[in-house]
Amino acid sequence: MALLPRSARPRRRGRDTTGARLWTWLMLPGTLWMTAFLIASLLLVAVLAVGTTDALGNPRFGFDLGSVRALADPAYTEVLARSLGYAVLTCVICLLIAYPVAYTIALHGGRYKHALIAAIVVPFFANYLVRMYGWSVVLSDDGPLLRALRAVGLADDHTKILNTGVGVVAGLVYGFVVFMIIPLYAALERLDVSLIEAGRDLYGGPVRTFFFVTLPATRQGAAAGLVLVFLPAMGDFVSAQLMGGPDQIMIGNLIQDKFFQGQNWPLGSALTMLLMLVLLVGMFGYLRRTRKDEAEATR
Amino acid sequence: MTLLRPTSAAAPARPAVRGRSRSRRGRAERRPRLLIAVTALFFALLYLPIAVVTLFSFNSKKSLTVFGGFSLRWYRAFVHDDVLLSSLGTSLRISLVAMAGSVLLGVALALGLVRSRTRLGSLAGLVMLVPLITPEIVTGVASMLLFKGLGITLSTGTVMLAEITFSISYVTVILRSRVAALNPEVEEAAMDLGATRWQAVRLVTLPALLPAVLASAVLIFALVFDDFVLAYFTTGVDPQPLSVRIYSAIRFGVQPTINAVGTLMLAGSIGLIALALFIPRLFGRRGGLDILSGE
Repeated sequence: MALLPRSARPRRRGRDTTGARLWTWLMLPGTLWMTAFLIASLLLVAVLAVGTTDALGNPRFGFDLGSVRALADPAYTEVLARSLGYAVLTCVICLLIAYPVAYTIALHGGRYKHALIAAIVVPFFANYLVRMYGWSVVLSDDGPLLRALRAVGLADDHTKILNTGVGVVAGLVYGFVVFMIIPLYAALERLDVSLIEAGRDLYGGPVRTFFFVTLPATRQGAAAGLVLVFLPAMGDFVSAQLMGGPDQIMIGNLIQDKFFQGQNWPLGSALTMLLMLVLLVGMFGYLRRTRKDEAEATR
Repeated sequence: MTLLRPTSAAAPARPAVRGRSRSRRGRAERRPRLLIAVTALFFALLYLPIAVVTLFSFNSKKSLTVFGGFSLRWYRAFVHDDVLLSSLGTSLRISLVAMAGSVLLGVALALGLVRSRTRLGSLAGLVMLVPLITPEIVTGVASMLLFKGLGITLSTGTVMLAEITFSISYVTVILRSRVAALNPEVEEAAMDLGATRWQAVRLVTLPALLPAVLASAVLIFALVFDDFVLAYFTTGVDPQPLSVRIYSAIRFGVQPTINAVGTLMLAGSIGLIALALFIPRLFGRRGGLDILSGE
């Protein structure tokens, strides 16, 4: 730019204003589309949550807190508590699995690390239902996993995974563990290995070095992973359907039921808003955490 | 996808890390046996379900636990299953339309978002992120309510509209960083040579973005084809997309044909993802952006 003769500048500035108009025109169709189909539809859910149904079960707009009040019903709070419990447990288990895997690949993967990460990411893009279905076959009562566990004496004939809460969490972990591995891997990749060496030089044992150097340096990756796993785990209804029994349903199954079997759309909308609220609280906590981290880093 | 970025972003760091690992080995550090064992176990469990589905798709028996011998029985059953075949056709149509629509809107949007400095631009940038942080069940419910509210009967068409809406975000996210990496001075040079702003975009910017556009198109095709939740909420009665059909099949008892369909879908999506990762290589190592990026 600086190489251009000064006389060229005013002419170009004149063009830039027409250019700015082009960028707006390019942006407009997509933005309008998203506003019409996404923002409008999300607002509709919020509006219907305070609506009612007529005698035939058709949804009616209005202002009625009946559906919102119904959420306090113990039948629903129990499901919400279970969903929260399963989602949090899924996050913790994913972290415990993903950390060693990401660590091994990032720091000891050598020239295979790109291939290994690709080997984790690629099956994740394969059909979610087919993967979950395969996982439910693996976990079934006479499936390969329980047979192997029985052979080494870790399980007996009565041990079940499918149709229990363990099965649901196992399904959620299998479905979303990749979301934890990727940000952790990215954080560990960026980790300055000389920090670990410095820890060792200062006579920190491997455990102390890990807890005082490696873990704090990668906590942002872990935080991102926790959000990325919590979000879909909380909204999932396939895992509870395939791996849990009727007494293991999560809030996603409840929403699905209200829209398809129960035909109570206002209540379904109220449940959907409740789910969004829980997730927004989680997101807010994450944003506050990362902002605090950034503020400390720049100080 | 953002998920794929670390792999490529890590590339320049490679020699340095290799050097470091040599110096670490110089300190006679033990190989972390436990960590490697955990990772191996993880990989085994990651691939076990996929292996089981693939293996039992070639089973001669109906069982999902006993392998009776190799046969193509379930693939033959699939080829003669008109319901599943029409679902496959529906899924292919939906994916193609969603791919075309979302790439057109998404590329334009990405260009506009990066280059525009207006308030509308930053607002549109925020709207773009909404689908990425909203669970699919919420967007599914919301889309369904919108269509029903507008009095539109749910059908293949409504699935297409919903899939386009949520694919735009992906296209935009993938392309934004690519557009940002382009050097705007090349566009300006084209304009100094007499091109209009639009000609500069069409003749200079878009060709430079082509590898990334193709890669994102392939990715969207695969994602939409495999999508279940959104399709489930926005589809009508007949003919339902393949993943919705699979969902009702696996809910109501074991049907070995699903293993065959599942295996084909796994192979298809893995192939497409590999293609999406490979496309930029076809245009040279750095996605053909070397000429234009300021680096």
